[in-house]
Parts: sequence; C-alpha cells; structure tokens
Amino acid sequence: MSDSEIRPSGPNDLEIDERLHPGVELALLRARTRRHFLRTLGGGLGTLFLGTLAPKAARAAAVSPEGDALDFTRDASSPLAALPPQFPAKVQRVIYLHMAGAPSQLELFEYKPELKRFDGQDCPASFLAGKRFAFISGVPKLLGSQYPFHQTGESGHWISDRLPHIEKHIDDLCFIKSMRTEQFNHAPAQLLVHTGNPRLGYPSLGSWVVYGLGTVNQNLPGFIVLLSGGKSPDGGKQLWNSGFLPSVYQGVQCRSHGEPVLYLANPPGVTRPLRRGMLDTIDEINRQTYATFGNPETVTRIAQYEMAFRMQIEAADAMDIRKEPDSVRAQYGAKPDEASFANNCLVARRLAERGVRFIQLYHWGWDSHGADAKEALNLGFIDRCREVDQPTGALLADLKSRGMLEDTLVVWGGEFGRTPMRENRGGQEMKYIGRDHNPSAFTLWMAGGGIKPGITHGQTDDMGYEVVKDPVEIRDLHATMLYLLGFDHHKLNYRFQGLEQKLTSVKPARVVAEILA
Amino acid sequence: MTLPNRLSASTGVGLLAAPILVLLVLLVLLPPDGTERAAWAQFIGRFHPLVVHLPIALILLVPVMELVGRDQRFPYLRASAPFVLVLALIGGIFASLLGWCLGRTGGFSGPLVTQHMWSAASLVTLCWLCWVLRGRGGRLEVLYWIALWAAVGASAWTGYRGGQISLGEDLLTQHMPGALRKLLGVAAGTATDPTIGGGTTFYGARIQPIFNRNCVTCHSREKRKAGLRLDTYAGIMRGGKRGAIVKAGDLRGSDLFRRIKLPSTDDNFMPKGGKPPLSPDQVKLIELWIADGASATAALDSVKGAPADVESSVRAEITFGAVDFAEVAKRRAEVAPTLARLQQRFPNVLEFESRGSADLVVNALVMGDKFKDDDLAALTPLSKNIVMADFSRTAITDCSAPVLAGMKRLRTLRLMHTRIGDLTMRSLTNLDQLESLSVFDTAVTPAALPALARLPKLQRLYVGQTAITATGSNAVKEKLLF
Repeated sequence: MSDSEIRPSGPNDLEIDERLHPGVELALLRARTRRHFLRTLGGGLGTLFLGTLAPKAARAAAVSPEGDALDFTRDASSPLAALPPQFPAKVQRVIYLHMAGAPSQLELFEYKPELKRFDGQDCPASFLAGKRFAFISGVPKLLGSQYPFHQTGESGHWISDRLPHIEKHIDDLCFIKSMRTEQFNHAPAQLLVHTGNPRLGYPSLGSWVVYGLGTVNQNLPGFIVLLSGGKSPDGGKQLWNSGFLPSVYQGVQCRSHGEPVLYLANPPGVTRPLRRGMLDTIDEINRQTYATFGNPETVTRIAQYEMAFRMQIEAADAMDIRKEPDSVRAQYGAKPDEASFANNCLVARRLAERGVRFIQLYHWGWDSHGADAKEALNLGFIDRCREVDQPTGALLADLKSRGMLEDTLVVWGGEFGRTPMRENRGGQEMKYIGRDHNPSAFTLWMAGGGIKPGITHGQTDDMGYEVVKDPVEIRDLHATMLYLLGFDHHKLNYRFQGLEQKLTSVKPARVVAEILA
Repeated sequence: MTLPNRLSASTGVGLLAAPILVLLVLLVLLPPDGTERAAWAQFIGRFHPLVVHLPIALILLVPVMELVGRDQRFPYLRASAPFVLVLALIGGIFASLLGWCLGRTGGFSGPLVTQHMWSAASLVTLCWLCWVLRGRGGRLEVLYWIALWAAVGASAWTGYRGGQISLGEDLLTQHMPGALRKLLGVAAGTATDPTIGGGTTFYGARIQPIFNRNCVTCHSREKRKAGLRLDTYAGIMRGGKRGAIVKAGDLRGSDLFRRIKLPSTDDNFMPKGGKPPLSPDQVKLIELWIADGASATAALDSVKGAPADVESSVRAEITFGAVDFAEVAKRRAEVAPTLARLQQRFPNVLEFESRGSADLVVNALVMGDKFKDDDLAALTPLSKNIVMADFSRTAITDCSAPVLAGMKRLRTLRLMHTRIGDLTMRSLTNLDQLESLSVFDTAVTPAALPALARLPKLQRLYVGQTAITATGSNAVKEKLLF
C-alpha cells in the first residue's frame, strides 16, 4: 500500500488541541457520539498500520521484478530521499528552459525559403479552413522570416542570426521541429507542457521526477523554479504544482535577486539555536497531529520546516552568484541583484552542481503578436533573443566543460509555435510585425545525456505551418524525458481517484527513439 | 398448393432457366478483361455488392427452414421453403447479372474475379436445380439435398472470393489476433513479398514497397485491374491494357507517374476509390527512379537526392532490457550489510544505479568538504560495485588514490574542485572501464596525460581550469574537453 491511501481527514476532525481549553474539551466530550468513537477507533488502527510502513522505505530500493508496480514509499521524515530509477538512467538531472509566450520558430530555427518567397501575399484559404486563431481574422498575409538564416556547424543546421551564442553549440543540440500541441492559448498550453494536462490540478513534470527519484542534496529542494522576464508565465504557479502528489514534491520558486527564498533568513534577534528550539517544538506538535489524523500533508509540513532550516545555509550559498568570479558572470552577462535570465542560468548551473534534480527556468515575453513594441518580432523579440542567447550558450559551455552535459538534460522551448501568417488583429494591418499562435507545429531543442547531438527530428511543410513528418506530441516528449531519467513512463505511477495516474495520461505516448543516442 | 409448384409444372422451369442461360453465355463470351467500359453499366454494376447479400441470406435460410420444419410444431416452415428458394434464385440471378456488369466494365481481370464469377454462376444453377428437384420424392429428394448443400457451400466460396476482391486477399488473416494466427498456423505478413527485387537495390528497397502498400490491392496476380500487375518488376514494365505505364528515363511518357501526380479529384488519379494518395516523398522516389532509368538492379545508393527512408528507420520502439532479478538479488545480498551501514553514515550518497541493478552510484558531492579521505576509504568494501562516482567539491586528496584505483568498474569519475593531483591520475591507469573523467578545477597537470592515455576506454577527459591547455600535442588530445 502506498501512502496515497491515507485519506486526508474530513472537515469534522477539528484540529484544536482541546487540552489547551478545558471548556472546549468538555464541549467536545459532550458532543462525542458513537460515530466519533468509531472514527477514532479507525484512526487508531490506521495509526498502528502506519507504524508498519516505515520499514517499507528501505524496501523501495529493493529489487522489484518487472511488471510489479514500483514502490515509491519513503521514510515519512525524508520524503525527498533519493531512490534508484527503474532502469539505468541516461541523465541525473534536468534543466528546463521554458520560453513563456512561445518564441517564433520561423525567426530562429525553421528555415523556410518558400515562405519568404510568398511574403506579403494573401494566405491561401486552405490554411484557414477549420482553424482557430487567437487573433487572426479574415485573410492574413503570409510573412517570411524577419531575419537571415545561414547553415552552421558540422551538422549543417540552419539557424537565424539571432542566437549567435547558442549557435556555437549547435552540434550538441537535437532539434525537434515537429512538436505539436492541442492547446492554442498560453495557460492551458503551458499546463500541457508542464503537467501533461491542459487542466488544473495535475502534478508537474518536475514533481513527478522528484517523486520518482528524490534528490541527493537534502539541503536544497529537489525541484527549483526560477522566473525572469518581468512576469510569471500565464499558467502561474500551477506549472510547478504537485497536483495530487504530496505537496512536498511541488517546485520551490526561488528569487534570483535579494533573498532567494522570502523569509528564509532568521529575523534580527533570532539566533540559529533559537530557531532550532522553535522548530523542535513545532515538529513535536505536528507529529502528534500526524499520529492522530495520519494526514501525509502533516509530514510534508514537518519535512518542509526541516528543509527550510537546512536551506538557511545552503540555499543562500547556492543562489549567490557573487561567489562566482567576474569572468564567469561576464560570460553569462549576469549582474547580481537582477531578476534576469542570465542570473537564473548561472544559478541553474550552481544548483545542478549541488545535486538539484529538476531546475525549471521561465523567461517571459516571447508572445510576439506585434500588438506593441515589446511583443513585436522586429523589436521586443530582438531583446528576448539577446536576453536568453548569451546565458544559454554560457550554461551549455559550463555544463560541457565540467562533463555535466553527459548526465544533464537541457530542454529549450515554448508552449506552441507561431503562424507563418502575419497577425492582423481585427482584420487590419498592425503597426508592428507579429505572428499569431500556432499549436500545429513548433520547434524545441534538447541537449545532454542520452540525446543524439547535431540532428533534426521531424519536418514541417514549406510554410512551417503543419508537421509533415514524425510528429511529436507533448506526451511523447514527456515519455522520452522519463525514459532518459530511467523510467518506463507507464510505471511512474501514483494512485489517485482509483487510477494509477501517470504524467503521460491516457493517450498512447511514444518514446521518440530516433533522437536517442 | 403453392405458386412455385404450379409454375414448375409449366413455364417456371423455362422462365427461370432462360436468364441463367443468358448469364452463362455472357460469362463465356464477354468475360471481364481488365478494360473499363461504359459508365452506365458500371453505375448499375456498383449495386452488385448491395444486392448480393439478399440471395446469400435466403439460400442459407432454405436448409434451416427445411430442417426446423421437420419438427411437428413448425410444418409451415417446410411448406414455405420453396417460396424462399425461388426468391433466392431470382435474387441470385439478378445479383449475378449486376456482378457481370461490374466485372465486365469495371476494369477487373485475373483469377480472383474469374473464380468469383464462375462460382456465382454455379450457385445460381444449383439453386435452379434445387427448385426443379424439390418435392419430387424418392431418389430425386436425395439429389435435392445434395444440390442444396452444394449451393450453401458455393455461396460461402463465392462470398469469400468476393470479399477478397473488395477487401484484399488477406481479408480473413490481415487482422487476425496473434494467438489465433498461431493456433491455425497462419503465417504472418502480406500476400506479396515486400523484398521482391532485394533490399540492396533502389527498386527493391524503396520502389516496390510503395506499390505493395498502395497499389497491389487492385493490380496484382489475383486481381489484375486494367490488365495491370504492380506486384512484380516484370508486371510494372509490361504495363496494362493501354500499353506501357513506365518508360525508363521518360517521365512524360510514363502513364503511372502522370496518374499519381494528378490532382486527387481527377478521374484518372491513382490510387483511386478514396484510397490514400501517395506521400510527396513516395512520389519523389518514383520520379527519381523513372528518371534514372527505372532499373531493377541499380544499387540502393545510386539514386541521388532520394528522400530519407523514413519507413525503415523511423518507428523503432524503445525496449527495456530484461533483468535477471535473481542474479541481481544475489549480488545485492553480498554487499547488503556494508551498504546499509554506509548508507546510514552517508545519507543519499550511495544508491543503486537502478532498481534492476546491483551496481552502485556514489554522489559524495552533496557532503561537500565534510567528505574526507577516511570517508572515501570506508567505501573500499563496495569498490567492485561502484560504476559511477562523483567526488566533486569534497575534501579528498591524493591520499585517496589507492581507493579510487581499486574501483575497477568505474565508467564515470568526477573529481571537480578537489585537491586531487597527478599522483592520483597516475594510479588510475588500471580503470579499464573508465569512459569519462572530469578533473575540472584541480591540480592535475600535463604530466598526468601520458598515464591517462593508457586508459583503454576513456573517451572524454574534462580538464578545464587546470594547468592543461589546448596547445601542444599529447596522446589524449582529441579526448580533451575544456
């Protein structure tokens, strides 16, 4: 039995310590009915049963023949303890660079000379039939790439002139040009990318990974989220939510300027021993609560307090990019006390070095509709490229020089693609140049352990509008990532609502074997 | 008492024998020959599959009525049997005539359609015979039953052949579940051999598979529409009723190419009948093949500019290696007490590589400078199980060299940001499984490189932020990463 079968207690289980208030105790005793008695009896039996669970934590790592459900139970006091993967893993950790807003593949990676040839002409009716757009209306014009492309590297990839630093690593990248999604609005599409489901309430990729593998460094969260670009992604905190998994597996959002975690440092006048004493007392109360109700969320609370205490030392150190030499900061373009993608990339490398399992970066501002200068392909887009290009290149270089690209998976991509048509909001030609959302095709690249470097997988039509070869669905991407982390995606389960829930959900997902080294 | 009996006595026999004779004459004199003819006849012919199921059902009903009617409770069933029989006969004749229309004018030819046709003709004849023989008593009664069962058999055979014409020759086995297939001894695979021409020639590997997948349902030995066979090289080059369809090196003169390039709404477009059109890649392959001389023997790589072979390379499915769990459990048991003790001492540092492995992964980096040489020495009993080890940021020094040298199965070793130096490097020479070594930011110097060059499997040596530089030549130059 897994800990999921411990049900949270009902609303009637008042979490009041009646010993503190004799009057309350009397009232509660008077109100106690046969039902209360039976429920307490059940709870007591449950508690006894829970006592038998602890030894199972050691068994989780034990040999389990294939076909058996994998056991992910751990000692209640260390829910993030590392567990071995199902199969030997190709990568130990993931750095996911999400470009929130969906960067235009046609300005970066998708070289489409035919589209350029038809630039400015009316879009054929067949492109519009049965399609839904966020803003395009009437008959839009086709829009060729705004930037020149060239072939580069030994792999001969085509790339635009916007990403000169990433370009240096082009032979290490594997492009998937046939990504597809079923959502054409940001929040659901981001949810789909990060939780495998466009609706709220499902655990994120990072949560699944930390649930399945734990994390080696118990002084830092196993799943850390860093934001830049001035705004949270549209999907909000749900993107690193733990859904129905115990909340200890949710992503911990850290800040890359100021205190990495708000209120983590002790306030003036509170010493570390004093903090320890306070936590011991709180823990004791929480343990009693857990003994009474058996709610795993109580254990999560205890574990989080303990982790916060340990993090007080290590997190501050890990997140402090001042500890890096000036030369390294210059390579990333990182400046202390900024919430920049550059700082986050440098922090990501420092976290990876410290054994953090899943590092999730979001950079907002890629929604190049052309409605204003900030989201114009000919203006804001240039800034976005500049903001991410150098740090991404530096991150890849650092991982490579340390040998860490061998067992780290780096993923770079948005939540969907952009149309080959120029956006014409309200049917009018707009002041700035932009493209609308295109869920039918987008480009994503991966690099690192287990990935075939320097290849392109999949293909879109001459306009870059639809996938014509080897489509890769989001669930296929997830299945592939879990495979690299050592899991058959069917086997990384959590029992919830009577189902063995999994990241890839119910539609058949396929590990993209063609991109594996 | 009944209409049929009265009819049989007089004009009935002749009345129904006449259309049968007409049918037989048509079949003999005007058989299907693969040519498409008048549209109106084809239009009528298309109703054949629609009409044909009624007589089939009726014929099968006759023996049922005869047998059940023997029961005293249902005498009326027996009495009605001739009525159903005559309906079946009329329906059968009608369906057969429609079938002839379709076969004659729809461009069919080949043994499949011929067998279907003659089998249907015998079925109709048998029905007629049944009707003539029924109710005559004595020996004729025996003949009636023989004819009736023969008619049932003939309808099954006719139906099967008809099904093959419309759904393909493997209609019964195509989607047969594997278990049943095994039970019946039915071989898997398609009716046509996909390797015709051999996998080493461009034609065999790239062109014939396209025809096999898209064309042979209609153009094969069994069902030769338009007199054309696309299941063999000879058949393709011979062409059909209208002459050659492929002219080597002449795209314009190749009718096959013209038809696959037409808009899919065109009457002459192939494959027709709502079947999926060829993909752009497939059209391109055929174009290149014809332009290059439509050779059967040209080598696979002789045709330049051919689209990548997605059919064979793509869709490889990932499989997970089988694990001998008993063996793993045994190997785990050997180290279990030591491992348990060390896991207690170094939480989260030692872990199995996977759930199906007794090999260990060491992640000492999480302990930082709290992990010293004595701690590393404590791992000695597990040496032969450790396959990956990361001691980055720990306080280990060259004193640990013998312990590291004892981890003979190491594939990956990370010693970043440590005080390890050349001494350790020189002692690692017997790590014959080591593929990746990172000494980033250590005291290792170029003097250690000759020793590291002796590592047989070493592929990547990370020497950033050490005294080693890219300049100068050395034995492991191509393995160095900065």
